Order: sequence, then C-alpha cells, then structure tokens
Amino acid sequence: MVNGVVPSTLKEALEILAERDIIPYAGGTDLMVENRKNAEYLFLNKIPELRQIRVDEEEIRIGAAVTFTEALADPNVPMLMKEAVSRIAAPAIRNAGTFGGNLGNGSAKADTVVVEFAADAKLRLVSAIGERIVNVDGFYLGRKKLDLRKDELIAEVLLPKHGLDRYAYEKVGGRNALAISRVSFAGVFDSADGRITKLSAAFGAVADTVLRYKDLEAMLIGKTFEEAKHLKPEYLKAYDERMMLTKGRVSAEYRKQVCMNLLDAFLSKFGI
Amino acid sequence: MLFGKLLHATVARARVVKVTVPELPEGYFYVDAKDVPGDNNVNIVLDDTPVFCRETVEYIGEPIAMLCGPEEKIVESLRDACLVEYEELEPVLDLRRATQSFFDYAYGHGDVEKAFAEADKIYDEEFETGYQEQAYLEPQGMMAQPESDGRMFVHGSTQCIFYIRNAVARVLGCGPEGVHIMQDVTGGAFGGKEAFPSILGSQVAVAAHKCGKPVRCVFDRREDMEYSSKRHPSLCRYRVAVKSGRITAMDIDVIFNAGAYSTLSAVVLQRGIIASPGIYQVPNLHIRGRAVKTNTTPSGAYRGFGAPQTFFAVEMMMDHIARDLGVDSLAFKEAHCSKQGDFTSTRGRYHDPVPIPAMIEELDKVCNYREKRKAYGLPQSGRFRRGIGMSLLFHGAGFTGSGERDIIKAVAKLRKYKDGTVEILAASGDIGQGVRTTFSKIVAHELNLPMDRIICNHPDTARVADSGPTVASRSIMVVGELLRRAAEKLRREWVDGEEQEVEEHYRHPDYLIPFDLSTVTGDAYPTYAWAVNAIEVEVDTLTGFIRVLGAYGSFDVGTPIDENIVIGQLEGGFLQGIGYSSMEKMDYDAKGRIRNHSFSDYLIPTAQDVPNLQCILHVEKFPYGPYGAKGAGELPLVGAPAAFLEAVEQAMGGKSLHHIPFTAEDVLSVIEKEGI
Repeated sequence: MVNGVVPSTLKEALEILAERDIIPYAGGTDLMVENRKNAEYLFLNKIPELRQIRVDEEEIRIGAAVTFTEALADPNVPMLMKEAVSRIAAPAIRNAGTFGGNLGNGSAKADTVVVEFAADAKLRLVSAIGERIVNVDGFYLGRKKLDLRKDELIAEVLLPKHGLDRYAYEKVGGRNALAISRVSFAGVFDSADGRITKLSAAFGAVADTVLRYKDLEAMLIGKTFEEAKHLKPEYLKAYDERMMLTKGRVSAEYRKQVCMNLLDAFLSKFGI
Repeated sequence: MLFGKLLHATVARARVVKVTVPELPEGYFYVDAKDVPGDNNVNIVLDDTPVFCRETVEYIGEPIAMLCGPEEKIVESLRDACLVEYEELEPVLDLRRATQSFFDYAYGHGDVEKAFAEADKIYDEEFETGYQEQAYLEPQGMMAQPESDGRMFVHGSTQCIFYIRNAVARVLGCGPEGVHIMQDVTGGAFGGKEAFPSILGSQVAVAAHKCGKPVRCVFDRREDMEYSSKRHPSLCRYRVAVKSGRITAMDIDVIFNAGAYSTLSAVVLQRGIIASPGIYQVPNLHIRGRAVKTNTTPSGAYRGFGAPQTFFAVEMMMDHIARDLGVDSLAFKEAHCSKQGDFTSTRGRYHDPVPIPAMIEELDKVCNYREKRKAYGLPQSGRFRRGIGMSLLFHGAGFTGSGERDIIKAVAKLRKYKDGTVEILAASGDIGQGVRTTFSKIVAHELNLPMDRIICNHPDTARVADSGPTVASRSIMVVGELLRRAAEKLRREWVDGEEQEVEEHYRHPDYLIPFDLSTVTGDAYPTYAWAVNAIEVEVDTLTGFIRVLGAYGSFDVGTPIDENIVIGQLEGGFLQGIGYSSMEKMDYDAKGRIRNHSFSDYLIPTAQDVPNLQCILHVEKFPYGPYGAKGAGELPLVGAPAAFLEAVEQAMGGKSLHHIPFTAEDVLSVIEKEGI
C-alpha cells in the first residue's frame, strides 16, 4: 500500500510540502525499491510546470519531472546529456526515471549529475515562499546531503545553451545494461584562436559527491595547445594526488586508474 | 499456517554455549535439534549435514533453530531477539589452508614419472575459479503440512522430490510411506534446488511436527544468496610433460572448496576429476581430487557439476602450452583429441562417435574463427583490442559411474484412463527446462495421440514412480526413454475404454565397462554430449571492460525433441557460462561472510551483454536415448570460461591468464603489471 497525494499544480504541491512531512516522488525508480515503511509521497509527475523542456536565450531548462525517455526524444537536449541518459539502466527505468529524482536522490553515481557538474549547470529550487537558483556543485554538500530545504522542490535543471558540443562522456558499469556506474566521466572542452577557453572534467561514482577541481582546470585554461601538452604530465599528476576515492566492492585503486586513463584520453581527444 | 524463520549463525566457527530465547506469545514456537523426532542428519550423500546445528556451528548462516508463528513480522522480531552465546573457534576459510578432506580420490594410468623424466619440457600452472550463484527466479522455499492420516506433506520449489522424501522420512523417524513430497511450480533451479530443499524440507517438517500445523519457510533473496549452496570454488594444479611437441603425461591436482558440510561434493568432485584431462588422449595420467572442508557455506550442485572448473583449467593449460610451443592452440588441441573407440581417462571407451572435428568446421563457418584468430593475433594498437578463443568439451550424460544402474534404478509409469487420456507418472520436475512439454511430446508421438490427451502434472511422490532426480542432464535421455518404451508398450496393449497402467525400468547398455569408484575405472557415463564454443571479445584498455562481441556454440545433444526448448537451454546455459567467466563475482570477507548478497552486488548478464549469441546443433544420435536424444541441460555452460578467457588473452597480446571470473579490474591490473 502506497500513501500519497497527487497535486495538479506546482503551487498546490508546494503548499502541501510546506505543511507536511511528505516525500517528493518524481519517477519512483529508487523510492519504490526502498519501500519505506509508512511513508507518504508527494507525486510530482502530473504537474505540467515540471514536465517541460524549454529553451530561452541562454539556457536549456529541463523540468524536474521530465523522464529520461522524454529527454532523449527532445531535439533541444544537448548530445552530451543524451549520451549519459541513453546508458541509464534499461528502457523501463528510463521511461519512469526523472532529472529531478536523479538529483534529489543525492547519489554521486547519478548519471545525469556528472554531466551537470561538467556543464556548470544550475538548478532552480522553488518553495511556497519563493525561489532561488544554485550552482549544481554547491547543491551537493556531501554524501546524500543536499542544499535543499524541506519545503523546497527541485523545479528545473538549467544547462547552458552553448559550449557543450565538444565533450567526452564515459560510463563504466559492470555490464551493458541495468548497471550502476562504477566510474562515470564527463568532460567539456572549447578553444578559440589556438588557446583553450574551456576545460572541465567531472568524475562520478568515485566519492561522496561528483568530483570536479576548477583550480586544476585553471592550469590549462588560456594556454596554447603546445603549452598545454607541455603541462599535461603536471596536470595529470595533480589530479592523481588530489583524487581520493571512497572504498567500494570494486576497488578504489581500479577506479582511480580508470579515472586517470579517462582524463588522459579526454585531453588527447582534443589534441592535448 | 505458520511462518517459519531460521535463526542463522553469525560466526564462521564456534561452540554454541547457550541460546536465550525471548518469551514466546501463545501460538509461537522455537524449534531446534532437540525437536527432531528421528535423526538430526539430512540424507544427502554422507549424512553429515545437521537439520539444526549440533554443539558447534561451522559456517556463517548455519541454521541454529526455527522460530514459527502466525504473524510473519512477530516471528521475525522474535528470531532477531534470540541471543546466541558463542565460544568462538578459529575458522578455516581459505581452501589452500584447509586440512580436512571430505573426499580424496586418485587414479591414473601409464608411467607418469618416467614420462616427466623423459620430457623435453614440463609445464606447471595453477588455475582458480570462484563461486557462482544460481540466481533462480524464486528463492528457496518449502512448506510442510501434517495431514489427517498422520502423513507429513512437504512441498515447494525443488528438483528432486524423492531425495526430499528420503531426507524427511529419516528426520521424522518414519518410513517413506509416512511422508509425501510434491514439487510446486519452480522457476529455475540450475542445481541449486537439488540438495538444499532436502535440508529446508527437513527443517519445516520438524517444525510442522512440533507445532502440529502447516509451516512454511521462504527465504528472502539476501538469505538465499548468503546461505544456500553455490558452485564450488576450485584450485587446480596441472603439471604436464611434453615430448616432441606432444603431451606425454599430465599430473593433475584438483581441489574443490566443499564448505562446511559435504552435501553433494563427492559426486561434484567425481565429475570434475573425470573431466580434468579434457577430451584429450594422455598416455600417462595421474589425477588426484579432493573436496576440502572450510568454514564457509556448503557448496553444491550448479549446472555442469564440477566439470566447468576442470574443463576451464585443462583448456587453458592446452592453450598455454601451445603458445609456448609456438603452435596454434586449436591445432594443438585437435592433435590430441580423442576419437571413437579410444580409451577415456577412466579406461572406459568412447563407444559412440566423437564428432568434434566436424563440429569445429561447422562452427568455423558460423563465426570465421580461424580467420579472426589469425587477424587478432597480429600486433594491435589503440584503445580497443580484440580476441577470439575456442574450447572443446564433452558432458557425460546421466549419473556418473554406474549410478543409473546401481543407485537410481529409474522407474517410470504411464496411466491410461477410461476416456483415453494418458498420464505421465515420473518424478522429473519442470524447472523451466520444459520437461513437461518434451515428455508429453514423446508419449503423444509414440501413442499417436494429440498433445492435449497427455497429462503431465507437477510430481508428487505419493502418485508417481521414482524415475530419479531432475539432475545430471538425464531427464530426457534416461526418463524420456523409459516413457517412450512405456508408451510403446501401452500402444501394443491398448484396450479402448479400460483403465491401464504400464511401467518401465532402466536398462543399462550392456556393452558398457562396469565402473568401479574405488579405482575410478570403467565407463563413467553411458554416452557423451559434445560442444565446441567460440567467444569473441573486445577489451577496453582504458577501463578494462570486456565486451563480448559474439558467442558461438556448436552442440551435439543428440536428437532435439523440441528444438525451441533445446536452443533455449543452450542459449541460456551459454550465457550463464559467460557470466561465470566475467562478471559474476562472489567472495567472503575476512570473517567468512558472503558480501555479494543482492542483485546490485552480484551481477548476472542481461540480454544486452551478449546480443550476438548463436547456437547450432550437430546431431549424433544415441541409440539408448529416445529417438537418439542425449543430455542437453548442462553442456552449454561448461565450455564458456575457457573460450572467454582465451579470447581475453589474445586481446591482451597473448598473456597467460589463470582465473575466472576475469573482471575489468583484473584486466587493468594485468596491464599495470605487465603492460600491453
């Protein structure tokens, strides 16, 4: 028996959330497996405001209750995100799982979140008393810890409209389908006039949150390709020293090696 | 009906000093060894497995007692409130450190020492294999129900109703007529429900006897994965003498980790050692095989039954020798392959044709093995590297040795009713392998009746004849033939409008050389099913991920009676073998606890993991099987590990690898140590 409320507007949902101890439920692909005792759920999948993908001047805005299958069919969703989404679980789970749920679950293994880190995505959080926009890296405070108040909902993921065309994405799971990531990697690159203008590298499933080191990225930004090639060993060494992986069933040593291999290959792909 | 929940030991080896049981509400019961009316030992092979623990516990999970009562949640909380006081003893976990062997066999022929003394070259390598969990649809579950006539009725998810009958009768201290056992719909077993239901069935029977009410115990998945039987982990050492490019001797040492009790290890080990020289002619041979005791979950039957471990080892050994000699692995294997009329490793004979050469050619046409093997053998560069491997193997159909003749003595019956319908009365259980369909087809065909006139229900020992257990790839070949003969007899004796019954008994082919277990000599099997497997992989050198590009198998199971069922069995078994070789990793921790106890920690392959899976049939009819059918159930799993790892070796530039499962982590670790 599942207890819950099915609001039809965002306003209604936020009012209920402000008043009651209730668990936001988007796709339910994790919550239904958890099967918490005596839980009450706030079903968000009938709220039109949360189910849209919109594009404005600067951003692609993906509603929190948009499913992975819907995103795959939408021409506005960047290819980088589609690559990650296409490898989540299996069709039945992609038909139910959502962007908001992937974030709200708080796991560093979430496949869309590593892309959001690499893409400098922002999140629009809403409550009955207002809204705020936060950077995705600030939203993740620690393992299963999010900068999200009890009365707040994730409303939208905001991805930059430009600058995501040159990327690398890798998912390493234990098998080809229905696989939880053991390592995931998203990198975004850009250059202009022979100089690197953008370089971001995010690692999922290796620590309490997705790892991204902007200070290390800065080593190569603004550099020419020749300079970057020269700096590459130092850059890789810095990552090697900085990245501390959490232990798991699959050894930390292995996952670290994979991270380093993928980072190296990402730079090589763009001529560094 | 009462729910039963087992109180499992939480330490690997200890004396149980005291169990403090919470106060039990009315209608709730605590059942342990003291409540066993008969013998507290489960009948399997040796009878060393207790129904409930004796004064010590020997592995994490060993059942100490069962709590029973009408409310499941309350039973669980009572069970969890039981306080067990242990005096801990030093456990033995690692099979290399084991000192006690449940079984120790040795056999051979020729002069091994002389062959080694005269060898040009001696090879000495070790091979290891891990656990494999059956991962059937529903976990273990049995129910016992006292009946008004005083009999105990036990039913559940199982393969072998008569095994359970013998076990329960012994535990209850009654004759076999005091109990009857029925198979419920069973969604897969793969060997996992061969012996284990005898244990669980005994436990619920004792509980129902004490409570005077029906008691059911159904494991949850975690309980099942941690505490029920799995494939034996193994360590095989091969010493091989080679002279003038040919193998002159093998000295093989096989060790299987039996776990805490012996259960089926004797027969698993027998099949394992008999397969250990592979399909090859070895003039001088010595084999020793041991099943050692450790303080871990008792290992048991799993599709292939000891043969996957040793076929893996011998095929890899052949491959490594060939590489060292600078000859093609397949050519080297072909040069040593047995032929019809040759001796087997146990000095029996390959009485029937050995169709391996033809099967190699047929499979080569399907997957271009030779061409690919050559191409992938050239130096490769880049992130992704490819390889292809091939394994050659048999699977002995039916019980090992003279078991069919001396132990099982199968009987099957057909009962014809007045309305002309015919019921099959055999003990074989449908466990997803479609035996009810195939049996019905055989009987319908022989009687020239439509299928809907044939009745084949889930068997109950009170009604059916003891045609033996549903194991050892024997149901169609042995029981199917009994039914065919029974149907033939019924056709001759058929009288319209009368109720009639016919019965057939197993007949051992008279040309077989009697098997003697004390010397491990004679014909180990009535006949053999054969297979040639090829697996093609692509290794990602950055992540270690091994993608299976194709898995191709040629299988000789004799005549396929229902081709869809046979192909389904072959594809499923082959995929299970690929999982065993690659992603299915299960281990215990420093305390002896199995950690991979969920489907997110123990991965099995999905359809996406081997999208290109092709199985073809090569038919050598066996005159003593129905219409020429042999065993099909286990064969497809056995050869996958060697074909897989040979392919990985080639993709990694010709490394010699020695264990399965071989995971992505292993790939990177080899690259790290040895380069690529």
